Amino acid sequence: MFKDLSIKRKLYLGFGAILAIILALLIIAYNRFNSLSEANQWDRHTMDVIQAIDGLRNDLLQVQVEARGYYLTGTAARLDRTRKEQRDIPESIQTLQKLTRDNPAQVARFSKLESMITVWSKEVIESQLVMREQLGNAPGAADAMGKTPQLASTANSAIGEIYKFMDDAAAEEHRLLLERSAASTSLQESMRLVITVGGMACVLLGALVAWLLVGSLTTPLTNLTAAVGRIARGDQGARAEVLANDELGKVTTEFNRMAQSIQDSQAKEKAVGDELRAKVDSLLGVVSKAASGDLTGNIEVTGSDAIGQLAQGLDRMFENLRSLLNNVQKAGIQVTTSATEIAASAKQQEATGIEQAQTSVEILSTTKEISANASQLLKTMEEATIVADYTTTATADAQGNLRRMDSTMQHMVSATDSINAKLAALSEKASNINSVLITITKVADQTNILSLNAAIEAEKAGEAGRGFSVVATEIRRLADQTSVSTWDIEQMLKEMQSAVSASVMGMDKFSEEIRRSVGEVRQVTDQLSGVMDQVQKLAPQFDAVLQGMQSQAVGAEQISATMMQLNDATQQTVESLKATSEAVHQLQYAAGDLQTSVANFAVAV
Amino acid sequence: MKLLVFHIGADRYGLRLRDVVRVVPLLDLKHLPLAPDPVVGLMDYHGASVPVVDLCLASGLPPGADHFDTRIIVVGYRAPEGTVHLLGLRAERVQGVQEIRDDQLTESGVKAAPFLGQVAGDARGMLQMVELEQLLTPALRIALFPNAGNAGSADDSGNLP
Repeated sequence: MFKDLSIKRKLYLGFGAILAIILALLIIAYNRFNSLSEANQWDRHTMDVIQAIDGLRNDLLQVQVEARGYYLTGTAARLDRTRKEQRDIPESIQTLQKLTRDNPAQVARFSKLESMITVWSKEVIESQLVMREQLGNAPGAADAMGKTPQLASTANSAIGEIYKFMDDAAAEEHRLLLERSAASTSLQESMRLVITVGGMACVLLGALVAWLLVGSLTTPLTNLTAAVGRIARGDQGARAEVLANDELGKVTTEFNRMAQSIQDSQAKEKAVGDELRAKVDSLLGVVSKAASGDLTGNIEVTGSDAIGQLAQGLDRMFENLRSLLNNVQKAGIQVTTSATEIAASAKQQEATGIEQAQTSVEILSTTKEISANASQLLKTMEEATIVADYTTTATADAQGNLRRMDSTMQHMVSATDSINAKLAALSEKASNINSVLITITKVADQTNILSLNAAIEAEKAGEAGRGFSVVATEIRRLADQTSVSTWDIEQMLKEMQSAVSASVMGMDKFSEEIRRSVGEVRQVTDQLSGVMDQVQKLAPQFDAVLQGMQSQAVGAEQISATMMQLNDATQQTVESLKATSEAVHQLQYAAGDLQTSVANFAVAV
Repeated sequence: MKLLVFHIGADRYGLRLRDVVRVVPLLDLKHLPLAPDPVVGLMDYHGASVPVVDLCLASGLPPGADHFDTRIIVVGYRAPEGTVHLLGLRAERVQGVQEIRDDQLTESGVKAAPFLGQVAGDARGMLQMVELEQLLTPALRIALFPNAGNAGSADDSGNLP
């Protein structure tokens, strides 16, 4: 029954049910709230009545207090205030009667109370006030007042009755308040129960409706999605189940129909495609073989459709390609052979050119060296010429010096000879001195002995010889001195003689040396003369060599320049040969590439 | 008292001047073969033959060297019998005559050669007296002067010049 409804109705139905429940709940809650507020008003009314009773009691107490104050003091102000309080009492009773109008028992009670208060006011308060007025300000008035029966008697019947009556009224009101509070509490309890149970029922019903609605909406959609997913994955036979007769059910039915038609059309297309693929495969086989180089394949597809025409065209094209490739293969082989030959000859030429360049470089360096050497030699030769000139003059000078030296030597020889002669004479004289000295020594010795003996004789002569003894001593002293001096002279003479002998020997040696030196100097002079002659002859020869060297240097420089030019030319040749070689290489590579490319094709049918 | 000062070896000795006859230069001596040890030869003194004794040998030292101041001192030797004989003494470095006072002389106190007597000190060192009488041992004296009788002439000749 639910399944046959449309989605719109399902939604209306579900939300309507939920709204109805909430509405019922709201109505119940509203009623309950009204009752509750009414009960509360009653509570407050009772409280007001109790307060009014308390106000009346307060007024009565106030009248009593002010009256007694007057009794005690007798002041007029007190009397006035008592009168004023008395006037307030009827108003309070009226208020009470107004409040308790709904309760007849209470109304009757307050009417009675009013009459009781009126009686009390007249009989007790007024009479006593009058009495106090009469007493005036007489001393002991207060005491007199205290002794009146109304005040002195403990059982004050009139006012006691009034208070008891008022207590009854208050008790009645309190009982009413208790009743009304209990009613209010029961109302609150029922209200809470209604809200809790109704709320829960409302939530449960809402959840049920939502679950039913979601189920009826999502299940067909999930089925549809799953079916679409399966079709997308390639399961052409996938269909969605029709669950209800609503809009989604219709959609599912239509979807199923669509899927069926798609499946049918695909099957038809596949049959046509298979036929076409078979033809294309056959063509593709032939073309693939041709692409890999085998042009021997035959095309077997015929027909007047597009594929058939394509097959015929391909057949004609393969025929043409076969003849073309045959020609290209032959030409390629010829080109390769020629390029190889050209490359070989170019390489040979290049090698020759490089060799030539190297040789010319070597020649150039050698020529440069020769040129440098020639320049250096030239410089050296110039220096040598200068040295030769200098040598010539120096040799001439040396010759003159040597001649002078020779004459000096001759002078020295003659001087040495004369020194020798003089030394010999000196030696002889020394010998003479020596003989004289010997004589002197002998004389001195004799004199010594003589003086000694004289002294001895003088001593023997005693006193007479005293003077002679002194003379003898003096003589002996002189003799001693003489012999000492003589000995000194002798020593000196000996030294002199030995020195002279040494001098003579040295002079002999010296003169011998000088003689030899003279001879050597003469020899050197002769040799120097010869050297000078030779050196003088050298100068013109040096000049000749110098000129030859200069011309050689110039020639070497010319050779060097020429070789430079030759070298440049050779370099250029080598460069061009290299370029040629490179080009031929490239040609060779190209030919090789062509050949290999062509060789890939098989053309024999 | 005056002394003739000379050297034996390195030391100074003195001879009383009254005993000295003459100082003569070193002469060529006539050698006496097999003569007693200190006797070095005979000298000719104005025709008389006088024996010469080397003081170095007599003192037990090696024979004295021939220096220019080596002299022969001719002395009058008084024999114990009283006769006087001429005797030559070969002495080195005969320096001259020196005055010595008697109070300068003191006994040597040491028993040495018999002919050595008192000593005296001065600025140049010690000087010892030579006692001529003790110079010749009895055997030597007999060997040199066998006939003691004719000694008087020698005394005369000592006073000659």
